Amino acid sequence: MAQIPLGVKTHAQKVCSLYKRALRNLEAYYDRRHVYRYQAVLLRERFDKHAKETNMIKANEFLKEGEEELFLKQHPIPKYFATSPGGVAHERVVTPPDWVLDYWHPLEKAQYPEYFKKREQRKKEFVAMWEKEYGKPDEKDKHH
Amino acid sequence: MCFNSFFFLFFFMLINYFFFVYFIMNGLSVFFEWEIISFNSMSIVMSILLDWMSLLFMMFVSLISSVVIFYSKSYMNSELNLNRFIILVLMFVFSMVLLIISPNLISILLGWDGLGLISYCLVIYYQNLKSYNAGMLTALSNRIGDVMILMVICWVMNYGSWNYIFYFDFMKNDYVMFIISFMIIIAAMTKSAQIPFSSWLPAAMAAPTPVSALVHSSTLVTAGVYLLIRFNYLLIDMFFFKVLLFLSILTMFMSGISANYEFDLKKIIALSTLSQLGLMMSILSLGFPDIAFFHLLTHAMFKALLFMCAGVIIHMMNDIQDIRYMGGLSLYIPLTSLCLNISNLSLCGIPFLSGFYSKDLILEMVSFNSFNLMVFILFYLSTGLTVFYTFRLIMYVMINDFNLMMIYNLYDEDYIMLNSMFVLLFMSLLSGSFLSWFIFSYPYMIYLPFNLKLMVIYVSILGSILGFMVSNMGIYSLNKLLLSYNLSSFLCLMWFMPNLSTYGLSYIYLNFSQILFKNIDMGWSEIYSGKGIFNILKNYSVFYNIYQMNNFKIYLFSFILWFMILFIFFFI
Repeated sequence: MAQIPLGVKTHAQKVCSLYKRALRNLEAYYDRRHVYRYQAVLLRERFDKHAKETNMIKANEFLKEGEEELFLKQHPIPKYFATSPGGVAHERVVTPPDWVLDYWHPLEKAQYPEYFKKREQRKKEFVAMWEKEYGKPDEKDKHH
Repeated sequence: MCFNSFFFLFFFMLINYFFFVYFIMNGLSVFFEWEIISFNSMSIVMSILLDWMSLLFMMFVSLISSVVIFYSKSYMNSELNLNRFIILVLMFVFSMVLLIISPNLISILLGWDGLGLISYCLVIYYQNLKSYNAGMLTALSNRIGDVMILMVICWVMNYGSWNYIFYFDFMKNDYVMFIISFMIIIAAMTKSAQIPFSSWLPAAMAAPTPVSALVHSSTLVTAGVYLLIRFNYLLIDMFFFKVLLFLSILTMFMSGISANYEFDLKKIIALSTLSQLGLMMSILSLGFPDIAFFHLLTHAMFKALLFMCAGVIIHMMNDIQDIRYMGGLSLYIPLTSLCLNISNLSLCGIPFLSGFYSKDLILEMVSFNSFNLMVFILFYLSTGLTVFYTFRLIMYVMINDFNLMMIYNLYDEDYIMLNSMFVLLFMSLLSGSFLSWFIFSYPYMIYLPFNLKLMVIYVSILGSILGFMVSNMGIYSLNKLLLSYNLSSFLCLMWFMPNLSTYGLSYIYLNFSQILFKNIDMGWSEIYSGKGIFNILKNYSVFYNIYQMNNFKIYLFSFILWFMILFIFFFI
């Protein structure tokens, strides 16, 4: 049960997320690498100034101010990678999910005999690998 | 399929060229009429008008589409459904040709609707979320124009036929013509993306690049301008030219500014197209339809070339369209950067390239005739802005340091794409002079003071210096965008008009329809029709089931009841 991800983030995770988003925002403004690197070093210095804060109330306040500043200064046209969500080429080429192959007609399956011979075995091995790493699913989760 | 279509369209272009030269030299114009049905006084007639304007436009459309189809053989070669794409493009060309040759409104409607629907199919060709949204925006904006043309058809029936070309000379100052002109202008504005309807053109860049090169630079968006050129008699005597002038000049200015803040390569070129469309509409509304037509044709050439170069660059960058990822490409893709530079310079109106002939003529006509000061200022300011964003684009993409993430992608030697670009390059260099010799049998007599004549050059030099300086500063030092954040957001998101025309118009109705849906469709109408009747029937059948459960008392009681009824009827 410890493998189910909870929605609560630690303070360190939130700060790191803010830092990464702020860096991506800087990349949107400064696209030549050496200029961006200079601004990124300045930003890192701002984060490092309050990095060793032990008082959690103050730390949360800094985090909140940082989020507010990022929101006010976000670039109106952020820089996305083309195939990532938000980019231009995201989901242009659709890969069908694996279970579609189970619905093929037997005549179609006969065109690839080697693959379909080993398919059931492969499925069993995959389920075994999953259960080894993440544990068996709870019986209560299978039905509403 | 690609090569067949290319050869067919190229041959069609040659035929059109020869007929165009013959027709314009001899001043001919051919009107075909085919009577489909004739019954007493009603007759349905299909007609085709071939004059020099239709033949010239058809020649340009078929040239650009043949070159684009040849280009997409290489551009879309990883596409599984290339046949579908080519067939859609061919259907598009067919609708455009139908629109060009038709002298009556019904076949214009067929071509117009075909253009709108097929451009929707082409925009949603890559089936991701952005394409679907863009397609919706394109289709619905074009639909408004379709509705307007349908209403024009209804109103023109007052005159007895749909052949509008017969009615201009003796129907001026008629109230019906007033309404018809109003609707035609709105239809042309939706198709050519003028100010209230301008949000679809940058969004439609979700389409594949060959589609943008053919559709969104030279054919679809110029259909509105072409319609107004055909209907230009309506503009001269009515007051509409002021409204159209105002909106088109604002479009020109707004898109020129937005292109300066935009970072997506295809969106910059789309906004540049929008700016030139505003220019065409404004010179049309000032009363010079032939100059507007001239600019339409030269613009088609270099804009299609520009889109194709952008396509090569996008292919190189693995589908990235953001210019912030690019830099210093001119040394590595020399032939493509040649085409890009020539088409950009032609767009700016550099002397003796093709754009110069049309743009300079337009600006000289504006200076020569005494119009409003605002008109004058906005025209020259927009010309300067054109040079500004062009130089900014060249600075970001071509000049400066190399900014790519990897080197091995630099592949310029795809000769299929290059050959198609060279055809358009040749035309983009020469079409200006070639068209000006054909269309204008005598030149316009323009007398201007010396500085006013050179004003274009001053504005271009100023624009190029500013473009160079601002890009330099923007790339290499503190980005001034942060200092004027509110103003920059306003200017780069197209004055928030896309938000107004999408959220602003539809939110209140969608909210209201949600309330209606929850209360009526899923509420009261379920009680009175669906679930309610089901519940009533179920309860009644539960009730009646008691009588069918073989209860002996029921049988005795019903026996007594029948006995009483029979007794009453027969013995009393």
